[in-house]
Amino acid sequence: MDSWVRFNAQSQAKERVIRAAQYACTLLGYTLQKSGAAAELHQTITQLEAHMSLTRKLLRLGNSVEALEAAKRAIHLSDSVLRLCLTISHLNRAMYFACDNVLWAGKAGLISKLDQHKWSQRSFRYYLFALILNLTRDVYEIRLLIEREARYRDAKSSPQHSPTLPPDSSTPAAIGLPVIWFRRQLHLLVTVLYSNPPLLLDLLKNTCDIFIPLDRLGISPTGPGFVGACGLTSSVLSILTMLHPWLKLKP
Amino acid sequence: MDAFVQFTSQSQGRDRIFRATQYACALSIYLLRNNSERKDLVAKLKSLETNMSAGRKLLRLGNTVNSIEAAKRTMQLSDRVLCLCLTAANVSRGLYFICDNVLWARNVGLMRDIDKERWSLNSSRFYFLSLVTSLTRDVYVVIQLMAQKARDRNFRQKMELHLNESPEVAEAVVPQLDAFLFLLLESLKSHPAVAFDMLKNVCDLFIPLDRLGIYQSNAGVVGFCGLLSSVIGIVTLTQPKLRLKP
Repeated sequence: MDSWVRFNAQSQAKERVIRAAQYACTLLGYTLQKSGAAAELHQTITQLEAHMSLTRKLLRLGNSVEALEAAKRAIHLSDSVLRLCLTISHLNRAMYFACDNVLWAGKAGLISKLDQHKWSQRSFRYYLFALILNLTRDVYEIRLLIEREARYRDAKSSPQHSPTLPPDSSTPAAIGLPVIWFRRQLHLLVTVLYSNPPLLLDLLKNTCDIFIPLDRLGISPTGPGFVGACGLTSSVLSILTMLHPWLKLKP
Repeated sequence: MDAFVQFTSQSQGRDRIFRATQYACALSIYLLRNNSERKDLVAKLKSLETNMSAGRKLLRLGNTVNSIEAAKRTMQLSDRVLCLCLTAANVSRGLYFICDNVLWARNVGLMRDIDKERWSLNSSRFYFLSLVTSLTRDVYVVIQLMAQKARDRNFRQKMELHLNESPEVAEAVVPQLDAFLFLLLESLKSHPAVAFDMLKNVCDLFIPLDRLGIYQSNAGVVGFCGLLSSVIGIVTLTQPKLRLKP
């Protein structure tokens, strides 16, 4: 109970729980529609989803400032690739939140003639850029860790016996060599991800999240069921990282 | 900027800001109600107020657990009166949140056959009860402070000085009243947390008093009192020294 109180005290945690509930409603609405349930129930679920979406927009009203502060902190990172990726990702998030605030003002009735579709598309574009940059950062970190792991393995195995295959196969003469190289890379990838749960969680979260703007912008339409499932999974993973702060990828 | 981020990262901080905005809208609607030129502004304010109120109801969904946890903590207090008042306040606030959650489910359409008026009145009653018990605790703390101050020798010298300074003033006609008021004001000045909490509870009290029909004021008074209590709430959250403990 005590951990719930501490969790509930953070407003971002509440927003994540509501997000999980919202995407669960999307998924539920899709399954109800597929199974041909009553239209009234389906309408209730859709209205509930809209209500939660609007409340989340209300809750996100101050988040542009947080994203700008995070971008200011990211500028001081030592690694140049990380610095670039994270700063631009936070700036894109700040723009996404700004568009989101305008959308809330339109939905709440403060701005009368607002082209909601245009602003919605804009906000999803910024969100997509931010997610692409986060994924780039994940891939970069994985690459660094794989190279380190490969060097470590070579250093461990070289004094004992000669390696079964050259570390960088420049001109694979035999047919089996690329397959062996691929299997080795895959094994390295699995080892790296297994020993770095924060990185694995962040990669999964970003991969799930990216389907949402891809669907909404029409780039890769997948349907409400898949979007709901992806949104629910990424929200649950995000709640996990909040409950266990050691699972959060730093910086 | 850093302080703003820290304040809004607490869920209670954001809720207080939304509450302040909600009651500011209510007050503005009341003040502009007869102004025919500002009809669309009034419509926008009404829409904003409804939006904030609905959003806050959703955000209050988990608060019953918070109240139960607070009640468990206050049951272990050593002072009997404080223990009773605070536990009663927390329990009735927990019941208020349950009624509020049921009303949310009704508004959203998840529960259909709920008597909205009855549950709304019940939630106002529990809220009223929690405010009354909080005020009782405030009065008890003030009485304790006053008793403590009256025993203090330095303070008694100060009071003698004050009582003897201007005998022509009307207050001096009733010297006991003058002494009592002086003691009260000095106690409140030395412990601003109690003064703020008392003022907040008194302002909040007007809201259920109006809703339950015990003391019918108008929407403007309710809006003003709600706004004032929200602002005091924001101030006590930003300055932890001004927060009354336990």
